[in-house]
Amino acid sequence: MFKDLDPILHSQLRLAVISLLISLKEAEFTYIREETNATAGNLSVQINKLKEAGYIEVIKQFKDNYPQTICRITTAGFKAFEDYVKSLQTYLSVKK
Amino acid sequence: MPEDNFSPEDSIQVIQSMIDKTKASVADNSFYFLLWGWLVFVACVSQFVLKVIVDSRWHPIVWSVNIIGIVLSIYHSVHEERKRRVRNYIDECLDYLWISIVVSYVLFGLAFARIGWENCYTFYMMLYGLGSFVTGRLLKVQPLVWGAIASWALAVVSTFTRFDINILLCAAAILFSYIIPGYLLRKKYREQH
Repeated sequence: MFKDLDPILHSQLRLAVISLLISLKEAEFTYIREETNATAGNLSVQINKLKEAGYIEVIKQFKDNYPQTICRITTAGFKAFEDYVKSLQTYLSVKK
Repeated sequence: MPEDNFSPEDSIQVIQSMIDKTKASVADNSFYFLLWGWLVFVACVSQFVLKVIVDSRWHPIVWSVNIIGIVLSIYHSVHEERKRRVRNYIDECLDYLWISIVVSYVLFGLAFARIGWENCYTFYMMLYGLGSFVTGRLLKVQPLVWGAIASWALAVVSTFTRFDINILLCAAAILFSYIIPGYLLRKKYREQH
């Protein structure tokens, strides 16, 4: 039976962020922005949504006197991504 | 792409393209291979010349180049750390691997200072092989793996040969396991960026 796709992850930019972080230990906001080709404003909103869902943690700190935002996937984020991929697999196999 | 039209097929594409992008995020490690490769190579050849050809008892002094290597490595790693915007699991594994290898070099040095340096190159060549093999497998750089195997083979050969010859075997081991793969690693990194 086809499971509903997690609405938090079933969004292009949020899925792109989680897919980047899944194979990284951590990444700076600027790196994520460049790799996803998103605008800083939009990315900031989507990162907050992921943070509120508990899928990522966001660390704000200073590096060489400049503010730095670091994102890291959480255990809940890993689990949600895994479930999302399983749902996709189910959907694609049903479609075949 | 509007979110309403974001299909499961699009999801797969996004996941694939993002995972592909992170593959290129591994830090450039060639600096350390080339720095230490050339330092050790020059030190080995110089030691051979001083000990065997010039017959100087001061031949171990060439290993003071280690100080240059340590200073440059610390400077480079601090500089790179400031620039680093992303950290992946491979980088972290490599950091732990090379920290443990550096500790082993230091401990070997202390041990050989007590028990004698006669067989030191055999053990150093084994360590060159270890670092290159694990790095090669993690970064999928086959020349590092072949260099490691060559280094281990030379370590075995060195158990049958004299100290003087072992100096040259060590130079060959570092050439195969650090210098040649180091240039190929740099080339691969530059092609990806």
